[in-house]
Amino acid sequence: MNALTDRDLILRARRGEVEPYGELVARHQTSVFNVCYRILHNRADAEDLAQETFIRALDRLHTFDLEREFSPWVRRVAANLCLNYLEAQKPSAELDEDRDEDKTQSPAEQVEVKERSAQIRMALASLPPQYRIVVELRHYQELSYDEIAVEMNIPLSDVKSHLFRARKLLAEKLHASD
Amino acid sequence: MHLTDNQLNEYLDNESAQRAEIETHLDSCAECAARLLALQTLFADLDSLPEAPLSKNLAARFAPRPSLPAQLPRWLTLTAVLQAAGALIALMIAVPFFSLMLPQVETPPFAIWLIEVQALWTSSLDALSNLALSFVEGYQFTNLPTYPVELSTLFIALAVVSIFWVFGNGLLLRNQTK
Repeated sequence: MNALTDRDLILRARRGEVEPYGELVARHQTSVFNVCYRILHNRADAEDLAQETFIRALDRLHTFDLEREFSPWVRRVAANLCLNYLEAQKPSAELDEDRDEDKTQSPAEQVEVKERSAQIRMALASLPPQYRIVVELRHYQELSYDEIAVEMNIPLSDVKSHLFRARKLLAEKLHASD
Repeated sequence: MHLTDNQLNEYLDNESAQRAEIETHLDSCAECAARLLALQTLFADLDSLPEAPLSKNLAARFAPRPSLPAQLPRWLTLTAVLQAAGALIALMIAVPFFSLMLPQVETPPFAIWLIEVQALWTSSLDALSNLALSFVEGYQFTNLPTYPVELSTLFIALAVVSIFWVFGNGLLLRNQTK
């Protein structure tokens, strides 16, 4: 099944086949999970939301434009779900303390990367929900200002102000921790 | 006159319509060049965030459920058919038997028809036993139990059905647990 394209798998999933959709999930689950994890900074919640993303995506698969890429589409679904989740949550949500590691690096480098990654994740997690989503869509999903405005259903001026303020806050937090 | 934060952000996001003017200013203004560098550092920090691994496979939910083989082996199908046939015969024998044993129960028309079949079956067995006895001259079957024929027939039928039931269902269950 690995030789099949995402488009082939989507067409088969639309016909009601389960296995092709499972293959599609297997291909994109890590990137979708990371969208949720960057926004929520809580592993358990991120995994739940990633799972929910694929269930929602399956429900909406008939609306997916086959001429486009599946990955950006499903990651935007994830970002929107996370935004809805954050807006429904109280601000006291617990944050994970676990760190990132890259096994190809030396132990000293790994420690350094882990600490820096933890600082970035903590800084992202401290942002207001709307700011987090704008940063996610701009930096990790590489959407233009106009696309973000459409995706979040907010004016272009709000996109800019959210993004620029978010960057200012991130820079302050990251410089403060240096 | 320095560049605004908006101008620097839009320039780095490739969303500015004044790129030439901004670059000209950056070439001559160390302060704005330093602010741009700080913003670029933040971008690099965000880009450096590694992907976190998933702790569970989200695709498992979409895996096809294990099912029985589409077609059972021929010999197993034959066993099931024999089992069903045996059960049907036992039922046909049992209905008139219990109707005779429990005369207070009102006998349905179907049971009356079965009683007639039962009588025919009994007379056939009698004729068969007389024919067999005629070949064994001088032998006395004094030790044979004197059950009514209906009861012995029922016992034989139930025994055959039990064997098929245990054998057939045992094989079916074994096939499912594989």
